[in-house]
Amino acid sequence: MAAVIPGRFTTQTEEPYVTQTEEPYVDAIVSVRALTKRYGKHTAVDGISFDIRRGEIFGMLGPNGAGKTTTLEILEGIRTQDSGEVRVVGLDVRRNRRAVQRRIGVQLQATTLFTELTAHETLALFGSFYPHALSPETLLREVALEEKAKAFPQNLSGGQRQRLALALALVNDPELLFLDEPTTGLDPQSRRMLWDTVLRLRERGKTLLLTTHFMDEAQQLCDRIAVLDGGHIIAQDTPAGLIGLLGATATIECALAGSPSIEALRGLPHVTDARQGTERILLYTENVETTLVALLQWAAAHGTAVDHLQVHAPTLEDVFLKLTGHGLRD
Amino acid sequence: MKAFIALVRAGVVMLRRNRTLLITSLGLALISIFVFGWLFGGGGTPKLQLGVVNDDTSPLGAQVVTQLQHSDSLQVFTGTQTEEVQSLRDGNRNAVLVLPATFGADLRQGHAALQVYYDESNPIMEANARAAVQSIVTGLNQQMTGQTSPVTLHEQAVSVRNLRQIDWLTPGMLGMLLMWANLSVGVLLVEWRQQGILRRLAATPIRPGVLMASQMLARLVLSIAQGAILIAVAIVAFHVQIVGSWSALLLAVTLGALTMMALGFVAGSFTKKPETAQAVTFLVSFPMMFLGGSYFPTDNAPAFLAPVVKAMPLTYLNDALRQIINNGAGLVAVQTDLLILAAWMVAALLLSGRAFRWS
Repeated sequence: MAAVIPGRFTTQTEEPYVTQTEEPYVDAIVSVRALTKRYGKHTAVDGISFDIRRGEIFGMLGPNGAGKTTTLEILEGIRTQDSGEVRVVGLDVRRNRRAVQRRIGVQLQATTLFTELTAHETLALFGSFYPHALSPETLLREVALEEKAKAFPQNLSGGQRQRLALALALVNDPELLFLDEPTTGLDPQSRRMLWDTVLRLRERGKTLLLTTHFMDEAQQLCDRIAVLDGGHIIAQDTPAGLIGLLGATATIECALAGSPSIEALRGLPHVTDARQGTERILLYTENVETTLVALLQWAAAHGTAVDHLQVHAPTLEDVFLKLTGHGLRD
Repeated sequence: MKAFIALVRAGVVMLRRNRTLLITSLGLALISIFVFGWLFGGGGTPKLQLGVVNDDTSPLGAQVVTQLQHSDSLQVFTGTQTEEVQSLRDGNRNAVLVLPATFGADLRQGHAALQVYYDESNPIMEANARAAVQSIVTGLNQQMTGQTSPVTLHEQAVSVRNLRQIDWLTPGMLGMLLMWANLSVGVLLVEWRQQGILRRLAATPIRPGVLMASQMLARLVLSIAQGAILIAVAIVAFHVQIVGSWSALLLAVTLGALTMMALGFVAGSFTKKPETAQAVTFLVSFPMMFLGGSYFPTDNAPAFLAPVVKAMPLTYLNDALRQIINNGAGLVAVQTDLLILAAWMVAALLLSGRAFRWS
């Protein structure tokens, strides 16, 4: 399996890291080739390609402005691409927009609903747009909003509104769901509930494309992830595979007084990479005990205090930082 | 089709729950009717307010005054010349008749003169007053000379319905109601677009045409319901009569509502923010409410305003409604008005259809 590992993504000519070659995957429920979209001078999506396999949860991870929402909107048929091919459930989206939309479910980043319709009425209305629809009662039960059937959107909490939006996405019992940043702005409990729902939907055989800028969400839920930045896919693999890019088994994070040079720390034993974050140092190591001891000795020798020392397994945040030089939420 | 019906139902439900809209359209029209109906009241043409100054002391003078007082179309006030002329100046008299001190004596000699003062500021009343006084004088002349004139006029009043202020106002209020209730559809569209509701709908298989058509039907249903309430109030509270046929009225109302909606869509297609759409709608509605002939006639508008009046769709709607309600006109009689409205509607729909955007 060919793979090219970038040190840091700097030019457009470098190949993104992918687990497989770019031959079309046979059972792809979504297939995107060289998708490009520009808004005036700004290129939001720059020639990206990927496949989504039936039955998987596919994540698009990246900071705001990376091109996730634009890509999603093109897949959903709300926007048209400038160039590139997009096939969803085997159909060309541009030419068969409504046929595609009959089979997919969509949760937009910020769903506003009709303020003069109750939750029940809204679900019934949207249900009428499709040849077959689930009953509002079933949908409300699915997202645990049965008591709010007669409530108006403005009387629901943020988490409840998101759940209603998800129920709306499930109205036609679609085989493929697009969820755009489904847990942004939610409290921890609501996030967990949503994660459970997403996993439950996959168990039922549905395919999901989920965009997020939360690395824990991507890591927990997704079977495969495409990492986006500045309109490009800079890496694409399973979470484990992406983390493997670091070649490290642990990350040491700390704040060192006096901002010492990174180069010195890079020289410490077993360190695969060292990075300067905001007010902290990140050391990626293959052998955490040895590196840790060496670090503490070095700090003692230089009279530098070590603060906020943390050791943890590497995360996608670390991967993103390595690939782009900035964080997911910088 | 299923989607269309569901959208119409939902549309009606949403409009019904939109209190602001109901208040500004039906509420405004009802209040206007009540205010004007009670201010100008029922009843026929008001009597001519005649001031009579009798300086003559002879029985002839008194006889004239008594005759005047018995007239059904006159309300007579007596007083001194100073008083009555002052009342005329104050606007409390339409005319003042002065019998000079020598009236009786002059009359016996064969030639007497009466002085009349008219209120010039109200041309209609002045004309009435003149006619009334002249016929009084003619009558007096005939009596005095005992002459029977060669031509006698037999007058027979045919009961032509008196057009009261409220009768004239009701169709105007109906037209205004249709305007306020339907022009704002553009604002709603812009709100939906700005809030992302349209974008969410764009992700479903429904067509924009179906959405627009369903909104139009929902609004039409509501317009007819509101119009029915308005007319019911006018009939019950003020005994306004709908002379024309109900089907002609329904057609005019439908066409009027749809035309106003189409204009609303145009406003909504070219603005990005709800506040802008609101402002544009208001800038169009407010002048149209007055220059379109809802509250007062615009037939005698000054020359520079005449083209504006002619350009307003509401002018034609109000005219059609008045013809139907007050004069019992059939569809043929109002066909020009209706065709002009239809032309406005088609043009506006074509324009807004082209410019429609989901987001």
